[in-house]
Amino acid sequence: MSALSLLSSGEREHETFILNVGPQHPATHGVLRLKLTMDGEYITRAEPVCGYIHRMHEKMGENRTWAQFLPNTGRIDYLAAMAYGHAYVAAVERAAGIVVPARAEYIRVITSELNRISSHLVWFGAFLLDLGGFTPLLYAFDDREKILDLLEALTGSRLTYCYYRFGGVCNDVDDDFIRGTREFVAGMRPRMKMYRELVTDNIILRKRLIGIGHISAEMCRKYGATGPVIRGSGVAYDVRKNEPYSVYRDFDFDVPVFPEGDCMARYLVRMEEMVQSLRIVEQALDKLPGGPALTAGVPRVLKPAVGDYCFAVEAARGRFLVRIVSDGKEIPYRVRLRTPSFSNLSLFEEASQGMMLPDALALLGSLDLVIPDIDR
Amino acid sequence: MEPEKACTQDLSQIVKFAMLDDVLSLARANSLWPLTFGLACCAIEMMAAGASRFDISRFGAEVFRPSPRQADVMIVAGTINKKMAPAVKTLYDQMLEPKWVIAMGNCAISGGPFVYPGQYAVIEGVDKLFPVDVFIPGCPPRPEALIEGILKLEEKLTGKRRWPEVIPQ
Amino acid sequence: MISSLQELADQFSKLIPQDAPLPETPAAAGASCAHGGVASQASTNPVQMVDYAIKGWHLDVRARPDQVVAAAALLDENGFATDAVTGVDWIAEGEMEVVYDYFHPANSWRVFVRARVPRSKPEIPTISQVYPGANWHERETHEFFGIVFLGHPNLTPLLLPEDADYHPLRKDFKA
Repeated sequence: MSALSLLSSGEREHETFILNVGPQHPATHGVLRLKLTMDGEYITRAEPVCGYIHRMHEKMGENRTWAQFLPNTGRIDYLAAMAYGHAYVAAVERAAGIVVPARAEYIRVITSELNRISSHLVWFGAFLLDLGGFTPLLYAFDDREKILDLLEALTGSRLTYCYYRFGGVCNDVDDDFIRGTREFVAGMRPRMKMYRELVTDNIILRKRLIGIGHISAEMCRKYGATGPVIRGSGVAYDVRKNEPYSVYRDFDFDVPVFPEGDCMARYLVRMEEMVQSLRIVEQALDKLPGGPALTAGVPRVLKPAVGDYCFAVEAARGRFLVRIVSDGKEIPYRVRLRTPSFSNLSLFEEASQGMMLPDALALLGSLDLVIPDIDR
Repeated sequence: MEPEKACTQDLSQIVKFAMLDDVLSLARANSLWPLTFGLACCAIEMMAAGASRFDISRFGAEVFRPSPRQADVMIVAGTINKKMAPAVKTLYDQMLEPKWVIAMGNCAISGGPFVYPGQYAVIEGVDKLFPVDVFIPGCPPRPEALIEGILKLEEKLTGKRRWPEVIPQ
Repeated sequence: MISSLQELADQFSKLIPQDAPLPETPAAAGASCAHGGVASQASTNPVQMVDYAIKGWHLDVRARPDQVVAAAALLDENGFATDAVTGVDWIAEGEMEVVYDYFHPANSWRVFVRARVPRSKPEIPTISQVYPGANWHERETHEFFGIVFLGHPNLTPLLLPEDADYHPLRKDFKA
């Protein structure tokens, strides 16, 4: 900030220029566009321009039956698709009064948490790629493929899962999956230690991240930023703890909180979250109850009760809220998707004021954006 | 020294003659540089194809270039909507000849799952904007499918398939 | 700062008196089944506690369009965070509903504020001066529903193309 005020109050004539980043740019992780007003190397105004991958998810919700919208939930935030399916399915279950068997809830937690780890691994690789380190991406994708193998055997899809059904999950887990998941959890712990030693303690990374891109807790509140962003600002807000859904009450896990509010804090939150997710997966496997994985007799064409219903989950990027309005017909009246990346990006304009351009890209990477999650 | 004694070996073992076009095609086919251009879900599978397990560099196509002027092949990995279409068209126009296009995934082929009567946002297939050489179906296609697409493109360039085709049992 | 949701509900009741004319009467809309909101079905009280397990939020507030800024300010004072702003098109009743979601980062309370505006003149004051995060949500609601947020600093399309003059989430929208 001081450098900026020095520049702007200096004697030389105040000159700015516009720098256009994107919509095709490797640092924006997709088709986000940033209109930056630059004063030399410093940003005086950053205006994100969205909508380059707007895919009408909300309008499509009004054009098909409740069940036909399920595949769409896998394509909003494709890195953490499980949580999105969970929110939508649970909102409709709430509206239609469908009871989910305990085994299905446990399977949902296991798959959601595995998906969270795989999502954070992509962020880990891509974020460090932004900062100039290529090798961690290769390590991260190596671990991620192990998760994808497990989930593919279970769900039939590597990325855009459509696994949850109203009243449970479409495919019960088998012994291979349980054994494979246990092996993965056991193998992932030393990898996390390796990441810590290789990357987190790296002096170059620390210099790039510590004290950069400060976001205060108050700013998070005003903009509705959630997930690792708000937890990196010292607020222990996690939907899994604050509005416990599914069977998250049964598990012993911590919500990692770092008060610094800089890029390093958000980095550490995500790294610690992966460890906590491993804990949850392990406990859920231990406690996995028997019984059916899908409630029998849920009609193919649902007609939920009139009214509006909400369901919020903790997706990998923060609070994801589905709000459905039913008018008692087989087609939703309104499907509202409140996505975390949208709110997390909206604070970028204020947070990037006066930053240097490379630091602003570090800030952008630390927000962990998925662009279709913003544009929907 | 007499010229015919300068080289004792049979020259045909060392020097091969071919059409210059064929030689160029062979060089191009073995080092296709894709444009770093992720649109949506398929881009993650494109990243996975470039990363450790699938390792697209085995086929010489790992040099992802952020600038269209340095790229040979544009992998359209994801949905194109009406706001993005002019930018995609500009990128295609900025690429130097010869250039190729791979439409990866159902969205780039036809609009995929986002097409319904009365839709207002999505371009129904990238071939509405510019010609496409290889279509890779899937939602999203697996990384192996992308590699197969690269091999198909190589086949188009050289007229010969580099690897034996895997025929499903 | 409030210590319980009931306290917040009381403050809202002061802000929105029960005898004030409501945005619409439930009796008139009752004929149509296309009617959302638990509050309007039950009684005329604009401030209602809701069962979280059934609905997914705690407090449902129906406000007049000119009360939403005061409601946002009250929630802001009490440490709520903005969640989302969106709309619902009640075409059968000739009205648009603007829905404001709030959540509390520490106490896990969820509050809904909803206001109805006529479809013929969909105008409502902006809350972006209270919550800067509502800026984008209001831009989005404007482009999708055509609801005008009075006093908004930059009401240009956010997700649709710059020159978009259509409002796709309106029920009578045809591409």
